[in-house]
Amino acid sequence: MSDAPVQLDVHDVTVTYPNGNTALQDASFRLDGGTICALVGINGSGKSTLFKAIMGFVRPSKGSVQISHGTVAAAQKRNLIAYVPQSEEVDWTFPVSVWDVVMMGRYGYLNFLRIPRAEDRRIVEESLARVGMLDFRDRQIGELSGGQKKRVFLARALAQRGRIILLDEPFTGVDVQTESTIIELLRQLRTEGHLMLVSTHNLGSVPEFCDQVVLVNRTVLACGPTLEVFTEQNLTKAFGGVLRHFRFDESTVQKHDGRTVTVLSDDERPLVFGKGGHLEFSQRQGREEIVKQRAEEPDDE
Amino acid sequence: MIETLLTPLHYQYMVKAILVSGLIGAVCAFLSCFVTLKGWSLMGDALSHAVVPGVAIAYMAGLPFALGAFLTGLLAAVGMGFVKKKTRLREDAVIGVVFTSFFALGLLLISLYPSGIDLRTIIFGNILGIADPDIWQIVIISAVTLTVLGLKWRDLLLFCFDPNQARALGLNVTALHFTLLTLLAATAVAALQTVGACLVVAMLVTPGATAYLLTDRFGKMLAIAVSMGTGTSLVGAYASYFFDGSTGGCIVVLQTVLFLLALVFAPQHGMLAARAKRLAA
Repeated sequence: MSDAPVQLDVHDVTVTYPNGNTALQDASFRLDGGTICALVGINGSGKSTLFKAIMGFVRPSKGSVQISHGTVAAAQKRNLIAYVPQSEEVDWTFPVSVWDVVMMGRYGYLNFLRIPRAEDRRIVEESLARVGMLDFRDRQIGELSGGQKKRVFLARALAQRGRIILLDEPFTGVDVQTESTIIELLRQLRTEGHLMLVSTHNLGSVPEFCDQVVLVNRTVLACGPTLEVFTEQNLTKAFGGVLRHFRFDESTVQKHDGRTVTVLSDDERPLVFGKGGHLEFSQRQGREEIVKQRAEEPDDE
Repeated sequence: MIETLLTPLHYQYMVKAILVSGLIGAVCAFLSCFVTLKGWSLMGDALSHAVVPGVAIAYMAGLPFALGAFLTGLLAAVGMGFVKKKTRLREDAVIGVVFTSFFALGLLLISLYPSGIDLRTIIFGNILGIADPDIWQIVIISAVTLTVLGLKWRDLLLFCFDPNQARALGLNVTALHFTLLTLLAATAVAALQTVGACLVVAMLVTPGATAYLLTDRFGKMLAIAVSMGTGTSLVGAYASYFFDGSTGGCIVVLQTVLFLLALVFAPQHGMLAARAKRLAA
């Protein structure tokens, strides 16, 4: 694997489509390798436009995207940018096997005729093993479950040896078990120095695995460490009035409930804010600092 | 009996017709796999009609018919892209408007300036009366198409399956798009001679569609489609001698029969298999 640290620098990017619609204006943020960053915003906020700009599918009318101090085109030539598509974008009836799809990650390395060498086959095999899909190598892709499909495309990104991995809504149509598997894998990739940008509207899962957040609404509203950026105030800015609330101080929850209140949700993880709109995590483990710091803050009651 | 069966092969024009048909059948079938997977069937139909004014003009000007046909075919493709970009019309409406305009223009030209070319030849094909220079044009088109497909089928497959991935890897997607479009136009021109403008689309879709029902692997799909395209074209051209019927009609009817058989009996995706699965569930 190439060990050069990767860097993504989106600088003052404005994207205007031919129909005159400006999808993104003056968007700026910078990310380094070894990061899982959530890209959060409502539909139509410019999330996918930002993805397209980073992948070089649209040319910014102003500003620039730089990858490791080079152009996007240069990064493409080096196979630096890997993309894990949304499930809806893929034609699952296409006559290709799991193996074929993962091999498509190697095309940039192959010769003119795209004939794989032993090395490419080894990497494909290794990538499939890593996501636990090696036993399914000969299946047609439509025969897989939602989570397996996701893992195959993740394996393709691994086979491509992309240092920047863009994931578009990786958790839609995926069960909780697979979600954890994918998150675990992303964490491993983070320790290896990859940079992952995850577009999601599954707000509750963001504090669980993303260390950085970029909030977008036609521009970058805020970016930085999750704890600082993912606040009630910022999210209200990004989402306007479209989020549903459950406020404890307005609810029937009383003092005698203490901290025994349980929050359930069927599919997406709940996002919980504490006093003054700061972020609450579902696990204390590993967050001892925050717990201690907040314990010292004065109590109202 | 054997003597009767061999009769067509005693005539040089029959032998030529059978071999040329087989060649075109193979090329069309190869391309049909990409056409069906990319969802370009309507585009194939459009291009095969849009080449007609080109053929008319080329004959009037004494140029190779393939050249004229090819140019108007591409002009139509570019025209469709332009109208689609500039209007809010859906793609099928754009294709419908543009290809019928080209076809109508072709009909008008042929009727206004009757030259050596017969309208029936263009619309229904006339492989039995094909002239040697035309055969050479077809052979060249086929050779070029097969070479490009043979060298670049993996890139084209990626382009059909996941154009975004192709782009992210730095492949030139626009070039791949136009390569496929150009091959489609060129093949439509070649097939015009055998089955005529009306039935070209069948040659460009049916073998791929049939093979798609029979397998889940692209390699096998190619093999099945090409065998089917070649086989039906050879047999169809040969059989048309006995029926004294339209060669194009014979070939396409044969292809349709195979398609219907696949539709009902295909082991995985056929109607009987689907029914068995329903009953088992």
